Order: sequence, then C-alpha cells, then structure tokens
Amino acid sequence: MPKRLAVLVLAIALAALPLATNDYVQYVLNLILVYGLAAVGFNLVLGYLGQLAFANTAFFGIGAYALGILMEAGLSFWAALLPAGLAGALAGLVVGLPALRLKGYYLAIVTLAFGELMRWGYIHMDAYTHGSSGLGVAAPSLGSLPLDSQAQRYYLILAVAALVVWGVFNLLRSRIGRAWVAIRENESAAASLGYWPARYKVAAFVASGFVTGIAGALFAMLIGRIAPDSFGLNQLLLQFAVVMIGGMSSIWGSILGAALLTATPELLRNFPGAEEIIFSLMLMAVLRFMPRGLAGVLAVRLPMLRERLYRS
Amino acid sequence: MLLQLTLSGIAQGSIYALLALGMTVVFRATGVINFAHGEFFMLGAFVVYVLIQYVGAPFFLAAPLAVVAMFFIGRGVERFFIRPIALSPHIILAMMTVALSYLFRGIARLFWGREVLPMPPVFSLPPFEVGDLIVTAQDILMATMTLALVLAFFLFFKLTRFGRVAQAASASPRGAALVGIDVDAFSGNMWGMAAALGGVTGILVAPVTLLYPDMGAQTLIRAFAAMTLGGFGNLGGAVVGGLLLGVMEQWAGGYLSTALIDIFSYLVIVVVLITRPQGLFGSPDVTRV
Repeated sequence: MPKRLAVLVLAIALAALPLATNDYVQYVLNLILVYGLAAVGFNLVLGYLGQLAFANTAFFGIGAYALGILMEAGLSFWAALLPAGLAGALAGLVVGLPALRLKGYYLAIVTLAFGELMRWGYIHMDAYTHGSSGLGVAAPSLGSLPLDSQAQRYYLILAVAALVVWGVFNLLRSRIGRAWVAIRENESAAASLGYWPARYKVAAFVASGFVTGIAGALFAMLIGRIAPDSFGLNQLLLQFAVVMIGGMSSIWGSILGAALLTATPELLRNFPGAEEIIFSLMLMAVLRFMPRGLAGVLAVRLPMLRERLYRS
Repeated sequence: MLLQLTLSGIAQGSIYALLALGMTVVFRATGVINFAHGEFFMLGAFVVYVLIQYVGAPFFLAAPLAVVAMFFIGRGVERFFIRPIALSPHIILAMMTVALSYLFRGIARLFWGREVLPMPPVFSLPPFEVGDLIVTAQDILMATMTLALVLAFFLFFKLTRFGRVAQAASASPRGAALVGIDVDAFSGNMWGMAAALGGVTGILVAPVTLLYPDMGAQTLIRAFAAMTLGGFGNLGGAVVGGLLLGVMEQWAGGYLSTALIDIFSYLVIVVVLITRPQGLFGSPDVTRV
C-alpha cells in the first residue's frame, strides 16, 4: 500500500475514532495517547541519545504540576500548556548538566534519585501542590465551551500530541538528531567529527524534558486530579516498559507499547497482585526474547514501518 | 540525645549494611545490580512466617530452613532469569531484576493482599537501660549479626579457596573458565549466597517492621545509597556506607526534621554522585578510548 494512501486512511480512522467508542473506552484511548507521548519524550534520551537517564518521571510530574499550579492561579489551560512544557525543558537543563559528568549506572541512579526528590517536593510544598491530597485540575475550555467529554478531550490531546510528535520527527532528521545517534554510537568519534557532545547531550535532555512535560500537562488535564504518588517509581517502570516493549528509538513503537501497557492494568484492576505479575512477565518476555521491542519485530515484516536511525 | 540517635543509627545502619553487602556480592560476582534484592529480604521473612504459621515449625527450625530455601531460590533466579540474558547490556539485566522484583511482590500480594502480618521476634527480652540510653535486644542482635556476617564474608573471600575462585571468576570470567573454574555454577552460588543473606536480614528485621509485600522495596533505596556512599563494588565500603547512612539519617531526623528521613538516601545519592562518584572507597572510573 503506497505510503500516502496509508497515511490518509490512518488520519481518517483517527478522526472518526470517537464515533466507535463510549466514554470509558475513549478515556483509555486518551490515556494511551498521553503515555505514548511521554514515551516519545523518554525515548529521546534513552533510545536516540542512548543515555540511561530515568528523569522522565520527574519531567512528567513537573509538567503536570506546573499546569495544575498555573491553572489554579487563574490561567486557562491553553495559556498554561506551553509554560508547563517549558518547565519540563528547564528541568531537562538542570538534569542535563550534571549528566555530562556521569556515565552508565551512576547516571541512572542519580536521575532516579532526582525523580524521588521531586516527589518529596510535591508532598511537602503544600502551599502550591496541596501535598498528598492531590491537586485538582479544572477542565479545559474552548472559548466558553468546556471540554468535558472524553471525545472532545481526545481531539485536544490528539492535536497537541500530533504537533509535538511532528516536531520531534523533524528534530530527529535534523543535524541535532543525527548528532545524538552519532554520540550514542561512539562519543569520541562524534567529538572528533566536530559534534561537541556536551551541547547535544544537554539539548537532548531539554527536548526530552519539554516533550515529557507537555505529556505530563495533558495527563493532569485528563486525570483531573494529580497526586505525588502518580509520579513515583511505579510510573517510571511503566514508562520504561512502554519504551522497551514498544521498541527503543521508535516513535510509533512508543504508541504501540503504550496501548498494550495501558489497556492491561485497566483490565486487571480487580485482582490484587495479578496486574504486577502479568506486567512483570510481559517485561521479562520482551527483555529475554525481543530486546528490540514490538517495533523491532514488526519492522522486519513491514519495511514501510522501518525507521531510519534505528537502534543498532 | 546524640548518643541515643547514634545507637539507633547503628542498629538501622546494620540493616542497610547487610542489604548493601548482599547487593555488592552479586554486583562483584556477576556485574548485575540486583533490584530484586529487597524481595529476597521480603521472601526470607515470608518463608519463615509460612513455616511457623502453616507448618507449625518452631522458630529455631524455621529460620535456618528459610535461609536454605532462599539459597536455592537465589540459584534458581540466576539460572532461569539471569543466565539466559547474561550477555545483554547492563540495562537489560538491571531491568530484568526490576521485573523480578515486581513479580515477587505481585505473588506475595496475591497471597496476602493488603494484610500486614506480625512476626514473632527472635528474642523477647525487655529493652536494657544503660544510663540515659535505651537499647533493645533487637538492636544488639542486629549489630552482632551484622558484625558476624561481615567478618564471615571477609574471611571467606580472602582466605578460602572458594573465595579466591570468586575473585578470579569476577575479575575475568573467561580466564577463570579457561583454568577450569565452573563460572556458571559459581554465579549460581553467589546469587544463592546473596539471597540467603537477604533472607537472613529479612528474618532479623521483620519482627520490628512487620511483614508486607512492599517491605523490601522501601528499604532497597537505603541499600543503594549505602553502596553509592561506600563505593560501588566495595564490600567493606557497603558495610561502612550502610552504618554511616543509618547514623546520618538518625542525626538529620533528630536535629533537622523528621521529614528528612524519608528522603535522606536520595540526597546522599545525589550529593555523592555529583561530588565524588566513586564513593568513599571506590576507585574512579577511567574510560579509555
């Protein structure tokens, strides 16, 4: 099937989707989109730059809380969205600079610790974040029309996510994206070619912070009430699993992984322990048999889906 | 108050030291950071609980049995979950252990749900009073066991033949295999020992903290901080790091704010990794091009 036709069919399917779903199913689909976007942000640092940095939960939470706090201060959703992303980007800068000094496991641990420190911050900075009881986020509105239904929110999320992903796509095909992959493969060689690693590494963290921050803001809007617990290690593992199962350095793989991993907990809500068991078994199966994730497996069959700059 | 805090700190720190020691053993032997070590801790306690409650075994029988069981569980984990992917990049191995941690916790939750189970203490003696200080039998037990186990480990690694095999196999698996050392069996045994060690720690601590599926996960970060402080891969460093962490945590909690106790480990990690990544006793990482 020629690529343009496939894209057109996809676009029509996406636009017509809410006609086929009820409010709850649409909510789950919205959640999938949000997690997919977060995974794309995570992938920028983990898959394309190749650094083991687990600060994505921190970016996610910062974006969410930034939106919540700004909206509570009176801004509309639309006015607060970009600042939320920029807050994430700023956090990316804060994490990216020390990241220059640390390698491998050390970076992983320090970014993890950063995420937990932020979570402690959410709990204890009550004045702004309302601590453990959570911060309510009002529904966005288009002019005077409140966007209450999941279908309306779907279009909002889809539009924002599509815009951001389009931006990421272009970024990856630019000099910056190629520099990231070069640095991932062999930092010294990249440096010898004139790609100054420090600049591009920090850029990757800032970009990741921005994208994940926007995802966090969308998450806050969708969930309606955010609490510190949503941004802890469970969230980190979920997002990591989405990226691993979907496929590192694959954009549509992130969506696929998000779809799989968001639907499963919803289905297993009522069985304590079962959710964790299934989740861990899925992750183990992927780690053992499909390290390239679903995207890797499917790309072998469907060359149209193969993305350049794939993780080697 | 300083002395009381220091004493509680040492007691707490012994727990962190033991956990960090177990994690360091695995890290030294197989290069893997075992995020499931907290679950070995948890499982050790749960196995004893099951043996006492459902089989009716007395404690002094149940505890050693549990430790042996943990040894075999550790070997099983290495054989079935780690060895198949032994050649994968570190991140894959680490994530496998994370998945394992979730698996064990899910299984525990399946059986025990939200219950928090009590565990009989090893000794039921009233606390001692030495001057102004209150010392519990639990504290003394923890500290003595830690000392004994640490000594045992040191003697083991430095003096016994198996210990030298351990050093060889972890320094160069291929070289060790070339001279006839069974590296696979060695890895299995190391994991077994680490699991047994974790189990012992769990059995010692459970009477105080009570049993619940997440008990390991919450203490794990402290072990991590201890390893980071002491220097990754350094056995003595892990122990010293654990004790230091315990003491500093109590001091910070007592003099600054109790809110700091939860987060102290994370602060230690961030500060150490930014200022001196190799910790107190580690050697700096030098990458050659």
